[in-house]
Amino acid sequence: MDKDAFLKSFADQFDDTDPASITLDTKFKELEEWSSMVALMIIAMADENYNKKITGADLRESGTIGQLYERISSR
Amino acid sequence: MHEFSGNGNITLIIQDGFHMDQSSPFSLSGKIFVVAGASSGIGLAICHSIVKAGGKVIGLARREERLQAMVNELGKENASYIKADLSKDEDITHVVDQIPEVNGYVHATGIIKLSPLKFLKRETLEEIMNVNYFSMVLTLAEMTKKKKIKKQAYSSIVLISSINALVGSKSNLMYAGSKGAMSSASRVIANELAGQKIRVNTIKPAMVDTDLASDVQDLLSKETIDKDKESYPFGYGTPEDVANTTVFLLSDASKWITGQSFILDGGWLNLV
Repeated sequence: MDKDAFLKSFADQFDDTDPASITLDTKFKELEEWSSMVALMIIAMADENYNKKITGADLRESGTIGQLYERISSR
Repeated sequence: MHEFSGNGNITLIIQDGFHMDQSSPFSLSGKIFVVAGASSGIGLAICHSIVKAGGKVIGLARREERLQAMVNELGKENASYIKADLSKDEDITHVVDQIPEVNGYVHATGIIKLSPLKFLKRETLEEIMNVNYFSMVLTLAEMTKKKKIKKQAYSSIVLISSINALVGSKSNLMYAGSKGAMSSASRVIANELAGQKIRVNTIKPAMVDTDLASDVQDLLSKETIDKDKESYPFGYGTPEDVANTTVFLLSDASKWITGQSFILDGGWLNLV
C-alpha cells in the first residue's frame, strides 16, 4: 500500500478542493468540502483500491490523512 | 398459571406467558408459515411471534446452526427448518418440493452493501438483487406453480421491504433498488393472486436494531448515529416491532388487506 498513491486517491474524492493543497498532514475533517458523502467515497475507495475496510472509528480517530493511512495500512 | 378469587363470583385466571384465544381473528392457531431469513434479525423475531400467536413455522436460511437454535428455542412441535440459499434455483426447487401446503410466506432475507454511485460494480449489484429480490420472486413463482399456498383461505404473503425504497440515503442505491423492486412486484403479485384469495402485503421498516443495521452503523461516526436516532420520535425499532405487524398481516384479522405497504418508522418520516 503506497503512501503517495493513497494520498492521490484520497484527494481524488474531492471535486472542488485543489488536490495540490491536500497533503498527508492535512486535517481532512477540517476541509470545507468534507462531508458524509466524501467519507463514504473514502471508504469505498479504500475497499476498491486496497481491499481495506475503513470504519467510522477509523475516520473519527484519525486527525490527518497520514494518521488514517498508518491506521489502515498496518492491517 | 395463577388464580385470584375475589369476594364476588368472579375468578380471574392469569396465564403465565402469552396466551391467545384460538377463536380470535388475530390467532394463527392451526396455520403454518414459511419464513425465509429465519436465522437472525427480523426473520427470527417473526418465527417467535408466529409461534406465540399459535402458528407453526418452517424456517429457511443459509446458516444451519442458527436454524437449529431457532427450532430448539421454539420446540420441534412448533418449528422446523430447511437449510437453503434462495439465491440458487436448485435450493428453491428443493425447498418448495419439501414443504406442505402452507397458509403463508414471509420473505425477510436481505443483505446490504453501501457504495457511492461512482464505485458501483455489476458483480455487487447483481449479488444484492439476487439475494434481496430475485430470491423472493423466484421462490413465490415456484410456490404458486406447485400450488403450495392454500387457496380461498385468506392466505398471506408478507414481504419485508425497507423505508429505503422511499428515501434516497447516500451510498444505498443497491439495497434501495432491490427493496423498491420488491415493493413494485408485490402489487403485481397481489393482483395475480387475488382471485385465489391469497393476500400480498409489504412492510417498509426504517432503522431497526439488527446485525444488518450494525454493519451499516459501523461505517458511520457515533455523532452521525446519535443525530439519526434523535430524528426518531419513538427511537429505533426492534425486530419484534416488525414481527408484530407481520403476524397481524398473516392473521385473518387483516383478511381485507392486500396490495398494501406499511411504513414502520417510529414517526421518522411524517412527524417533523
